[in-house]
Amino acid sequence: MLNIAITIAAVLMCLSLMLNLWRLFKGPSRPDRILALDTMYINSIALIILFGIFSRTTLYFEAALLIAMLGFVSTAAMCKYILRGDLIE
Amino acid sequence: MNLLWVVLLPLIGTLVPLFTERFGRNICAFCVALLPAWSLILVLMYAPDIFNGQAIRQTIEWIPAIGLEVSFRLDGLSLLFLLLILGIGLLVILYARYYLSLKDSMSRFYVYLMLFMAAMVGIVTSNNLIQLWMFWELTSISSFLLISFWSHKSEARKGARMALTVTGAGGLALLAGLLLIGRIVGSYDLDTVLASSDIIHAHAAYPVALILVLLGAFTKSAQFPFHFWLPHAMAAPTPVSAYLHSATMVKAGIFLMARFYPVLAGTDLWFIIVSLTGLTTLLLGAYIALFKHDLKGLLAYSTISHLGLITLLLGLNSPLAAVAAIFHIINHATFKASLFMAAGIIDHESGSRDMRQLNGLWQYMPYTATLAIVAALAMAGVPLLNGFLSKEMFFAETLNQSVLGSLSWTIPLLAVIGAAFSVAYSLRFIHDVFFNGQPVDLPKTPQEPPRYVRIPVEILVALCLLVGIFPAFVVGDLLHIASFAVLDHTVPVHNLAIWHGLNLPLLMSFMAMVGGVILYYNRRHLFEFQSHFDTTDAKHIFERTIQSLVKAAESITNTLENGSLQRYVFTLLLCTLVMGGLPLIELTQNSGTRASIPLDGVTIVCALLMIFSAVATVIWHRRRFLALIFLSVVGLIVSLTFAKFSAPDLALTQLSVEIVTIILLLLALFFLPQSSLKESSNRRLSVDLLVAGLIGCVIGTLCYAMLTTPLNTMSDFFIANSKTGGGGTNVVNVILVDFRGFDTLGEIIVLGIAALGIFKLIANMRIAIPARDDKGRAWSNDPHPMMLEVVSQSLLPLALLVSAYIFLRGHNMPGGGFIAGLITSVAIIQQYIAHGVQWIKPRVTIDYQWIIASGILIATATGLGSWLFGQAFLSTWFDYFSLPWIGKFELASAMLFDLGVYLTVVGAVMLILANLGKLTTSERLDIQENN
Amino acid sequence: MEFWVELVASILLVTGATFAFIGSLGLAKLPDFYTRLHGPTKATTLGMGCLLIASMILVTYWQGYLSVHELLITLFLLITAPVTAYMLAKTAMHHKLQILEKTTDKTLSKRAAERMTP
Repeated sequence: MLNIAITIAAVLMCLSLMLNLWRLFKGPSRPDRILALDTMYINSIALIILFGIFSRTTLYFEAALLIAMLGFVSTAAMCKYILRGDLIE
Repeated sequence: MNLLWVVLLPLIGTLVPLFTERFGRNICAFCVALLPAWSLILVLMYAPDIFNGQAIRQTIEWIPAIGLEVSFRLDGLSLLFLLLILGIGLLVILYARYYLSLKDSMSRFYVYLMLFMAAMVGIVTSNNLIQLWMFWELTSISSFLLISFWSHKSEARKGARMALTVTGAGGLALLAGLLLIGRIVGSYDLDTVLASSDIIHAHAAYPVALILVLLGAFTKSAQFPFHFWLPHAMAAPTPVSAYLHSATMVKAGIFLMARFYPVLAGTDLWFIIVSLTGLTTLLLGAYIALFKHDLKGLLAYSTISHLGLITLLLGLNSPLAAVAAIFHIINHATFKASLFMAAGIIDHESGSRDMRQLNGLWQYMPYTATLAIVAALAMAGVPLLNGFLSKEMFFAETLNQSVLGSLSWTIPLLAVIGAAFSVAYSLRFIHDVFFNGQPVDLPKTPQEPPRYVRIPVEILVALCLLVGIFPAFVVGDLLHIASFAVLDHTVPVHNLAIWHGLNLPLLMSFMAMVGGVILYYNRRHLFEFQSHFDTTDAKHIFERTIQSLVKAAESITNTLENGSLQRYVFTLLLCTLVMGGLPLIELTQNSGTRASIPLDGVTIVCALLMIFSAVATVIWHRRRFLALIFLSVVGLIVSLTFAKFSAPDLALTQLSVEIVTIILLLLALFFLPQSSLKESSNRRLSVDLLVAGLIGCVIGTLCYAMLTTPLNTMSDFFIANSKTGGGGTNVVNVILVDFRGFDTLGEIIVLGIAALGIFKLIANMRIAIPARDDKGRAWSNDPHPMMLEVVSQSLLPLALLVSAYIFLRGHNMPGGGFIAGLITSVAIIQQYIAHGVQWIKPRVTIDYQWIIASGILIATATGLGSWLFGQAFLSTWFDYFSLPWIGKFELASAMLFDLGVYLTVVGAVMLILANLGKLTTSERLDIQENN
Repeated sequence: MEFWVELVASILLVTGATFAFIGSLGLAKLPDFYTRLHGPTKATTLGMGCLLIASMILVTYWQGYLSVHELLITLFLLITAPVTAYMLAKTAMHHKLQILEKTTDKTLSKRAAERMTP
């Protein structure tokens, strides 16, 4: 049962990622693209968690943690770039 | 006693003038002279052993595994040369003290001179081929410095450059030759090489090695056709000419031939090359010398001629001729050095070196004139002077050879002609300068020089006389042991006597004398005959050649490096394609035996995402911000891939590097155009596309072949020894801090240097901020949104916690100092982004440069710490402890090292990013108007 | 494996993934940026919460002691998602992106306009 659930979840996450990429391609505005990228970061966390459950290991936990943390920094930096141009002022 | 000191003392002497110049010229010269004098005393203390037929050796091992060592040896030949180098060197130091004018920097001259002396001593005492070559090149360099001592003169610079080019090029040939010999023998040890004459003679590469070594010797000793540099080197101060161009540097080539005489001589090839070159040089030098009006020019060509004579003797392949050659080395050094010094005195006291102006100096400086005349007569080969003896031995040897078959009789004839010219130019030196009427238009009235400057000349002239009158008593033993070394311990019977009875050599000497006098008497006809030839100056030919070489090099460089990055990448990729692609064509099967991992849906989807994003990055590369977003997707998927294929460490590193890179690019992108124009033609684009595609195919094929082939790599070793040797279960981290700890240390140092370099480049740079973005919109007027500020601040401790956690577990689980450092940096950068520099400044007072420095210091100190325990550099120490409440835990020195890595990374990243951010502190001008 | 544990985890996994998918679907399908912003920042964050709880339950069950790692990620996401949304909305407003006519509340925007210009 768990494996079936993992499979369903993985399929859904893959579809999500593809939808995100589609939005990334399509745009049309820069905030749209940044939002798509941010969503891709979050969806990859899900993929990594699923992979961890699937292979019964906690080894990949830090990778997920890092994506959660760094994804936010990256999104914030990009927004700041658009708003002010200069990241560090 | 220590043989090493013989070389080291002159080398230390290079520092002495710098410290003693302030105490005055006399003290400076005296102190400088002390060291070679000491060295000479050391040599003389060895002399009794050498005269007993021993050779003294001393070796200091450096890297024994690859046969590198510092090795010295002292035998008869070395002793002879050491006496010349150090003895005449001392005289030159004394002479230069009075010769150099107050305008010349004395310390600079002595530094160069001592450097040269050390190099020469090194050449003659080296017992290792590579070491010998190193000193050989050092003489080229130091002679360049000496010749160009008066660097304000164009001719000095040109002459120095020419000497360096010719002797330096010869040095490279010599290196090739020595390496070849070392390869043939299997050792660079001179003793071993000298004992392997059979192996070398029988080897197929012998001719190549011989020619290469001879090229080195001939360029150094100014043999035809490389003789042209020596006359131009006369632009040097006269002490330099007296030292380098009579006694030492030009003799280095002769020394080389003598040193390798046991292993290289004795073949027809040696005979043909060496003797014919020597003969040509002898005749050419003697002939041209007669026509030179410049006093030093005459001496320079006469030096060339005498060097040719020695070379010819060495080339005759007869033991007695070799003895004669060594004897002539001594004699030539003494009379030519004194002649140069005399010429220098004349130049100094009369202001001219032109023999058309210098006439009748006898009446102004009779004492100096006497000395010069005696030395010149020695050069001419007049009986009772040393030149006569070696010249007679030379004549005897030309008679004894029969190598040209029935034409052998021409060699004695040519020798006599050469000797006659030598007599003629010696006569010219004597008659033109000291007699022959009155001086013409001299800048100043000649007079006798100061007392001390004549002492070196007196000593040398006295030696000429002593050797000439009591040859066996004065130099008999020295000549014997030197020949003993050259001829591999079998010295032929020779008789150093003035009178051998009425024989053919004596008749030849007589003929040369008479011929010389006749030539000189009829010199007007000769000068007129010579004026029909247009004498092209070697300097012009040389400069033209060099210029055309430079032009050719420039045009090649300009063709290859036209400043187009596109072109460079294209060339690079094309080369890669050819080098990497061609072997692949020969490979019939590209898949190995390793079974493939089954495909799963997630992997396929991720691969597709990556491919699309990568292609999108390329397509939209002109819209830079967009390209950056797509690049981030590629980075993200790559780190997912690392995680999928069991490389969590790589995934972590990739992620953190990715974010730091994005921030860096965003910081830089602000100063760049937001979109770039299309610059390449469509044709260019399609060619580039083709090459890039092909490269992709080649790399893809290579990857496939690599991944499917089960390779026996080092991984097993690392996995097996990680826990037992490094005390950690995370092999990646143990490799970084232990197995390859030295690499890591080097890398963090490079990182630190790079960060400091970037800091230095941008530290004082201020760039004006564009008032609007690329679409013409005004910037937002809220520099630090409050929500972002608050949340970023509350995230900081959380991020630091994560960073500490990843650092601490790094040794056993995925993580480590590098990743932790990047996470910390990102956390701090986030504060910069949210709050701005002004907010951070009072809160972070520590200097990032100090963080870098302390990181490197900690890492190095950890490495050095293992020395305290008698371990090798960077050995890891680890042990397990247990404390109440915490339980069992491990302490390892590797963690301390990792701390160094962590600090360096934090310092470097922060130094770069924070300073890039600080580029813009100026106000945004029209913010108010637009809102 | 205990049936209940498996059941709960499976339900949480499928629910979470569905929410995340809905978030992405919203991002792809909705008509303007401001509506699109809702999907990833709300639905996806909720979905992630479910997934992380599932992971927490399973890891706790396998290891035998409570796994709190996942809470850290959840914490991160819960703190950052609103800020991300805020920053993106700010960016969009800065760019004056088109707003769907029917989502604008005239009274509110009028009041806001009055407040903006003193």
